[in-house]
Amino acid sequence: MTRVYNRRPDFIARSIMSAAAFVKEATLCEEHARYAGFLQSLDPRAKAITFLALLVTVAFLEQAALIGLVYCACLVLAWASKISPGYFLIRTWVFIPLFTLGIVIPAMFSFVTPGAALAAFDIWGVRFVITRPGFDGAVLLVARVAASVSLAVLLSLTTRHAELLKVLRIFGVPQVFVLTVTMCYRYLYLFATLVENIFTAIRSRVGVMPQRRAGRRVVAWNIANTWSRTTKISEEVYLAMLSRGYTGEPRLLAGFQLRLRDLVWALAVFVWCAGLLYLERR
Amino acid sequence: MNDIVFELQDVKYSYQKKYPALCGIDMTIRQGEKIAIIGANGTGKSTLLHMLDGLVFPDQGRITAFGQELSEAALADEAAAWKFRSRVGFVFQSADIQLFCPSVREDIVFGPLQLGVAANEVARRLAEVARVLDVGHLLDRVPQQLSIGEKRRVAIASVLAIDPEVYIFDEPTAGLDPLTVRHIIDLVVQANRRGKTIITAIHDLHIVGELADTVYVFGKDKKLARSGPVEQVLSDRAFLEAQNLVHIHGHIHEGREHVHPHLAFERHA
Ligand SMILES: Nc1ncnc2c1ncn2[C@@H]1O[C@H](COP(=O)(O)OP(=O)(O)O)[C@@H](O)[C@H]1O
Ligand SMILES: [Mg+2]
Repeated sequence: MTRVYNRRPDFIARSIMSAAAFVKEATLCEEHARYAGFLQSLDPRAKAITFLALLVTVAFLEQAALIGLVYCACLVLAWASKISPGYFLIRTWVFIPLFTLGIVIPAMFSFVTPGAALAAFDIWGVRFVITRPGFDGAVLLVARVAASVSLAVLLSLTTRHAELLKVLRIFGVPQVFVLTVTMCYRYLYLFATLVENIFTAIRSRVGVMPQRRAGRRVVAWNIANTWSRTTKISEEVYLAMLSRGYTGEPRLLAGFQLRLRDLVWALAVFVWCAGLLYLERR
Repeated sequence: MNDIVFELQDVKYSYQKKYPALCGIDMTIRQGEKIAIIGANGTGKSTLLHMLDGLVFPDQGRITAFGQELSEAALADEAAAWKFRSRVGFVFQSADIQLFCPSVREDIVFGPLQLGVAANEVARRLAEVARVLDVGHLLDRVPQQLSIGEKRRVAIASVLAIDPEVYIFDEPTAGLDPLTVRHIIDLVVQANRRGKTIITAIHDLHIVGELADTVYVFGKDKKLARSGPVEQVLSDRAFLEAQNLVHIHGHIHEGREHVHPHLAFERHA
């Protein structure tokens, strides 16, 4: 087998491994929530309410520039919370195309959004026209999604999951729902772990990713099997939680505590949201 | 008669109603007893322990715990479940499954917090079990990233913190180094001296004598092959061989008899 043959499958294996490591890190390690940064120091209830207010505000804003302000605030908050800018940008921009690509690109063109032409080009004799309203709409959508995703990522990076779940309960979200979210989290983590283990096992037995047909069958079988194995393990994890008295009600060692800084923060955010909405209306 | 912790009468259980795991088990476990469940792989040891912990329930037959029937319906009552879970602690076979929190600290306090122990008492227990199991330096680590021995100690700590009356261990010493095994045995013996009931599934016969006074041997047919005082059962070599628990190859070391498992195709050094 030549190198050229091996390179591509190995690249795929490596990408899958790093994706799995990313999911694991994101669902369990809560590394960023332990840093001593600004958002980490706030009471989770105050944080959750203010982020909700910001999300709602973003949904109401129609001017891309105002949404841009919120996005810039996110970058500042990330910096103040000791999240490295590179990491934060990757974390957010990985998701943004997921929500926008399929909508934004078609919507820019004249056959979806009519209006004055901004740019035009030909492909195989078909004329494509990007319209002014189409372009503006696309910018607005991307800005809105970017700001919303950034807010969500900021909140989840700087708050421990047990605390977030507890906040959900405080805000009256039913126990069953919190339990489901909890188990989904565990499921994702277990799934990522299993994928990692399988690829390590295959590589340790075969060296590189197998080329021959038999080898590919092993991989396919393993991938299909990963779902059912994960389900089985997550059922066992659920039993382990049950065994130690779990009922779906998150409980924390240290209770929440509202301090002056939380109130000041909340007030500042509400004033800011009101200001943005005022500018929007004007 | 009120010192009976668990009583099983002709208990049968199959996974998905298809794969039999327990085929008619009768047992009586009394308070303060130290018992071992031994048997080859797949003889139903783990299934039995899950049942004792109220995680699976008999298809047929009956199990009572502390004088009350142990059933899905009984545990559906939150107060009853809370009481039962506070009295019975289970260390699972796989520490990877048992540890599901983002930090060792959270895993250790999970049980007591869920069971409504007051915060200052939880903190006291955390400090105490961390000392006893020597995991104090690991409290802020992610459990999944620890070594197998460390994971096992954390898993045991997370159950000790509940302070139950009955401890159930599923192969607590499998895959550990001798020092850690020693440590765990001492812990179990001490807990028993304090009056705790100890139920251990194991297949390392060297240490059964230390972990139990009474043994129950599970056979390939997923029934009890024999039960009785530990010396009596372990001295019947022919029986243990028939149960796949020892290989014929026993030999003498420093005047003491040892039984080493050997692969059939392995050459003896
Ligand atoms: N989740 C499951 N689904 C189907 N069969 C199972 C499951 N768990 C265990 N079994 C079967 O039940 C029997 C007893 O298993 P187990 O209690 O794990 O044995 P042991 O702990 O003694 O090794 C085995 O035949 C095993 O294959
Ligand atoms: Mg087992």
